[in-house]
Amino acid sequence: MKVLMFGWEFPPHIAGGLGTACYGLTKGLAVNGVDVAFVMPKASGDEDQSLIKIINASDVEVDPRFSAFYQQGGDTTYIQVNSRLIPYVGLDDYYNVINQLDSGILSSDTYGGKRKYEFSGRYGSNLMQEVDRYAEVAAEIARNEQFDIIHAHDWLTYKAGIAAKKVSGKPLVVHIHATEYDRSGEHNINSVVYGLERYGMSEADMVCAVSDLTRQIVIDKYHIPADKVVTLHNAVIPTDKVVERHKNVKEKIVTFLGRVTFQKGPDYFVETARKVLEKDPDVRFVLAGDGDMMPHIIERVAELGIADRFHFTGFLRGDDIDKMFGMSDVYVMPSISEPFGISPLEAMRANVPVVISKQSGVAEVLQYAIKVDFWDIDATADAIYGLLHYPALSKLFISKGKEEVDNLKWENVARKLKGIYTKVINR
Amino acid sequence: MHNICFHFHISQPFRLRTYRFFDINQHHEYFDEYQNSYLANRLAERCYLPANAMLQELMAKYGDKIKVSFSIAGSSIHLFQQYCPEVIDSFKQLIATKNVEITGNTYTHSLASLYNKTCFMEQVKLQEKLLKEVFKVRPSSFCNTEIIYSDEIGEWLHEAGYDVVLTEGARHILGWKSPCYLYCNPFQTDLKLMLRSYRLCDDITLRFEEKDWDGMGLTAEKYINNLNKIPDDAPFINLYFDYETIGEYHTADTGIFEFFKALFSQLAENDNYKFITPKEVTAMKVPCSTMHAPWPISYSGDEKDTAEWLGNDLQQEAFNQLFKLESLYKKSKNKVAKENWLQLQAADHFNFMSTKWFAHDSVRRNFDVYPSPYQAFINFMNVLNDVKLQLEIKENKTKQEL
Repeated sequence: MKVLMFGWEFPPHIAGGLGTACYGLTKGLAVNGVDVAFVMPKASGDEDQSLIKIINASDVEVDPRFSAFYQQGGDTTYIQVNSRLIPYVGLDDYYNVINQLDSGILSSDTYGGKRKYEFSGRYGSNLMQEVDRYAEVAAEIARNEQFDIIHAHDWLTYKAGIAAKKVSGKPLVVHIHATEYDRSGEHNINSVVYGLERYGMSEADMVCAVSDLTRQIVIDKYHIPADKVVTLHNAVIPTDKVVERHKNVKEKIVTFLGRVTFQKGPDYFVETARKVLEKDPDVRFVLAGDGDMMPHIIERVAELGIADRFHFTGFLRGDDIDKMFGMSDVYVMPSISEPFGISPLEAMRANVPVVISKQSGVAEVLQYAIKVDFWDIDATADAIYGLLHYPALSKLFISKGKEEVDNLKWENVARKLKGIYTKVINR
Repeated sequence: MHNICFHFHISQPFRLRTYRFFDINQHHEYFDEYQNSYLANRLAERCYLPANAMLQELMAKYGDKIKVSFSIAGSSIHLFQQYCPEVIDSFKQLIATKNVEITGNTYTHSLASLYNKTCFMEQVKLQEKLLKEVFKVRPSSFCNTEIIYSDEIGEWLHEAGYDVVLTEGARHILGWKSPCYLYCNPFQTDLKLMLRSYRLCDDITLRFEEKDWDGMGLTAEKYINNLNKIPDDAPFINLYFDYETIGEYHTADTGIFEFFKALFSQLAENDNYKFITPKEVTAMKVPCSTMHAPWPISYSGDEKDTAEWLGNDLQQEAFNQLFKLESLYKKSKNKVAKENWLQLQAADHFNFMSTKWFAHDSVRRNFDVYPSPYQAFINFMNVLNDVKLQLEIKENKTKQEL
């Protein structure tokens, strides 16, 4: 069985959880005897190609006459949007986007000779243009490659997936890692992105969602028939890396690690900190990450007068993340809406007990974690206090947590996916 | 002829409300009044009152041909007094028939017997006092919390003046032996043990509503048919149930009341069976063998051990932290805090912290209100910390609260 898979990013150059999930999934598929050709807009050449074939969309020569045909016959409208909406954005990126907004839009060239497109593969301001060009390239790839099924990850690649389906007639599976409802909340939906998501799900032969939570959103908000949507939980890539415990301060440390955006609920973390500090001043709270809510959060911390116990590290990566886990006594993920949420698993693997919101997909696969409603700061504070003050609890979490995480294997996820492929192909 | 002993437990505890760490030393209302009232009334309505009425009716018809015994934890008696006193009256009427025995028990459905003798004896004595006050009875047989028993617990009970103890017919203890004979404590042979035939009990508790009884539900006829298979020379059939089995675990519409009514009537009319209560055993001339239980047994799960309450580190920590306060309890003059310390010993609080059944729910977790065992643990520890502070207060400052 051979899969033509469309992604947007792949390790080592990643901006979020999507690339990591694609890596794990493709590796798992390889173990299960499924061949994967993974297409991405811009490959750097240092991706791990030991088990799968990477196709760099920037290297593919496109015949515009063909893609023009596809665009008319493919029944699509060409959408050109200058959007502020970007899946993963740091503070710097955000201002870059704002500054570039007036810089004008390049139109797609439908006429002319053969050419290659230079993709950035990032989540920049010309994202929508890249999405469309990616679809043109996808059609070209689909004409030349041999495969049994198409698999597209998240809305950025849906047009590509659909183009490949139209050209080849092979079935399409789309994979939902996050929906517009998770990224923007109920009342700030970007209708263009929503439209693309729904278009992809409707055209697909099967929709995979990373959690039951996401599956329900797909059914309720995108009106996709329930029997077409399956849950495919994420897993983790095993590692032998041991995070060393090392603390510079005597106080207990409670950590939030993630983008400081609406979706992640950093403001609830601040309110929780206040509750705990009222009773126990010997705790330090660390907010590690960056994002558009940062100014608001800093102001709120100052207003509450807890700045001496509340610290900001900015965006962390690589070893710094491990160092942070090595210092932490509790990890908190108060996400308002988290389709899956891989970071608590990383914390647990570093022997840090976790408190996670019930509104996260990862809550569906974990037993050794305290689950609270994101808005319930009393319950969250109580959970943190319990973990800090009743050592039996944190000991239990540390002894069982790592084991639990290590049992979430991509091979098992991929085996389930292979079953889904088989069903779709034989339909 | 078989002597058949029906025994029912009632062990509803005072359930805790959500008590956050910032409530510690701020207020001392630990119990969920609404939930306690709701559950007591719901159980009274569905189970205790109609089941008592059923027994009353049966005894009116068959006289002393039908006998049963009860163990009612002190906390449940207090719950009834507080929220549905008619249940107490109903039990008084049953006791007046003289066909009902009330056995000894712990005061708060406590796990104290797993900690030490003094904590356990405190529970036993308080319960004796309460039974005397409320029902004017003095028990001579004993049914411990969750029928927990070991050789040592048996010795303590013998010393406290009990002759008979009800416990589990645990297979890993009995081996090839049958629970349908009389046993005794190996060190105090005067202490008789009546062992529960758990498979026969599970047929009703767990399997009553299953349809694999010849394709239909369980009936009294089929059940007696199974009882008839027990060899004739086996003198006892001991069947112990949570009283909530009638009307709550199996609701009235499943036909559980009709089942028990038919079962009791048919057994009373059958000369092969004679109803007894535990205290009658001491006067019987039947052979008796020793049963050695070096580790505590209970009626939990297939293992019949105490893992349901002390199986994980959280439970053990909570248990040790709780009972460590015994000396504070003895010194303290704060009556409210002392009573609360006793209430915290209820097995149910520890059951809520169990991680044994992550995958599937058991009957015992029916009334669980916590989202996870961890929240149950945190809540318990918060309350315990406040109780500790209250016990430590030298003067009885909370007098106005009394």
